[in-house]
Amino acid sequence: MSENAPVDRLTCVLCPVGCELEVARDAAGGLDVKGNQCEKGIPFAEEEVLHPRRNLATSVPIKGTAARMVSVRLSGTVPREMLFPILAEIAKLRPEAPVRRGQVLIANVLGSGVDVVATRTVL
Amino acid sequence: MMRQKIDTCDVAVIGAGPAGLAAALGARRAGAGKVLLVERERTLGGILNQCVHDGFGLFLYKETISGPEYAERLAEDVAREPIKIETGAMVLDLSPARVLKINSRAGYRLVEARAVVLAMGCRERTREMIEIPGTRPAGVFTAGSAQNLVNLQNLRIGNQAVILGSGDIGLIMARRLVFEGVAVKGVFEILPWVSGLERNVRQCLMDFAIPLELGATVVEIRGRDRVESVVVAKVDDTLAPVAGTERVVPCDTLLLSVGLIPENELAKRAGIELSPLTGGAVVDESLMTSAAGVFSCGNVLHIHDVADWASFEGFAAGASAARFAAGEMPARETVRVSPGPHVKYALPQLLTRGTAGVEWSFRVTCPLRNVQVVVKGKATGKVYARKKFPRVLPSELQKIKVRPAVEEDLEVSCHE
Repeated sequence: MSENAPVDRLTCVLCPVGCELEVARDAAGGLDVKGNQCEKGIPFAEEEVLHPRRNLATSVPIKGTAARMVSVRLSGTVPREMLFPILAEIAKLRPEAPVRRGQVLIANVLGSGVDVVATRTVL
Repeated sequence: MMRQKIDTCDVAVIGAGPAGLAAALGARRAGAGKVLLVERERTLGGILNQCVHDGFGLFLYKETISGPEYAERLAEDVAREPIKIETGAMVLDLSPARVLKINSRAGYRLVEARAVVLAMGCRERTREMIEIPGTRPAGVFTAGSAQNLVNLQNLRIGNQAVILGSGDIGLIMARRLVFEGVAVKGVFEILPWVSGLERNVRQCLMDFAIPLELGATVVEIRGRDRVESVVVAKVDDTLAPVAGTERVVPCDTLLLSVGLIPENELAKRAGIELSPLTGGAVVDESLMTSAAGVFSCGNVLHIHDVADWASFEGFAAGASAARFAAGEMPARETVRVSPGPHVKYALPQLLTRGTAGVEWSFRVTCPLRNVQVVVKGKATGKVYARKKFPRVLPSELQKIKVRPAVEEDLEVSCHE
């Protein structure tokens, strides 16, 4: 394996140009990003490779109404490794109707700084 | 003789998904008086309601939201207008004279519309349509029906799943099943490229180390009562399975994400010309079909990769329908627009002679880099528009605008 073997290839999604980035580990242990046509590509690639953040959407059973489920998501992104711990918290939820779109069902879930919010109004 | 009640309206919209909701709004905003919106489900929003993932609304609402939120916001806009909404109502027939036969909880009746917007969406290709050999056990689902069962009905569909096809719904369901504790053994795509969006490959497959194998397909389903395994094989350049490459993948569930088909039974009944390239109606720049006063938008016209574009098409079709209903759209002579090299289709397929400033949607046949897309006159060879793209993918609907007035048949082509 050569010293600068690519660790990841990804497409920058910050604008419609969609630069194809190649990320390699440099000699000092930092990241070497190639293929970016503007300077925004570098922090984009660094975050996506080193600390990827994701949103999360699922649905939970709801009581007291004909609809069986209310869909939920996070109010913002969290570090990717928090997805499964947060899913376990969401799995404990048993909201009762009425629930309104945007209603916070778990505030600051697991101290992540983001909320679990309903994405649908169920009356 | 049976007496039939006949209602009238200015614009009737069939289907209340992202395109139909927008069409009803577009019709009102363009001045239509009586607008009727007919939806066969009990709720508005169509397929958006089961698409709980985010990524919707980036173009329409300038923020990324989930499908149910997108549907609810659009439905709230509709509710603010005096639009007559009928849910749980099925349009059984449409005549070329724009008479709808509607069956609803209120009974059966006829509605005569001055203009009609088709927004019925699409449905999924099934196992039968791609002819997978083998037994016929339980456990074979289209990705969208699995999405409905999991997201809306809280059902567990299996324990070990294989996904055939790399369409977006299949990729999104791969992640959804992982969240539900289902082992996803792999995604197999017959083509040498992914048919879904790259974002979904990364966030739905790579994030969870789900294997993706291109150039491979399911050649047999095994199991008596329930799926027990599938046989996967590599395919050659003609997409035929290569003997000797078969391997057995144990699983109890097979999800199919192998394409969508516009749901045009009503258009066929009305004798509307359909395009074999899109599966939807042939339309002009106002989105009018071959039946005067009948317009089409969203996935029933052609398959979109982003809901927002289906809505934008809906706004445009609704506005055109309002103008037709008001008698502001006389019959005109059209020229034809056809796809050239590397272009699967270009839409609209018809253009009123002399029109300037129309934007075309098109899809390419295969992934290409550093291409130039050219819109050329077929008689004169005149170049009406050219646009460079660093790369184009079959999964991404692209746009090109033609500024000059057009007086001849056109061809849209893509060159490396």
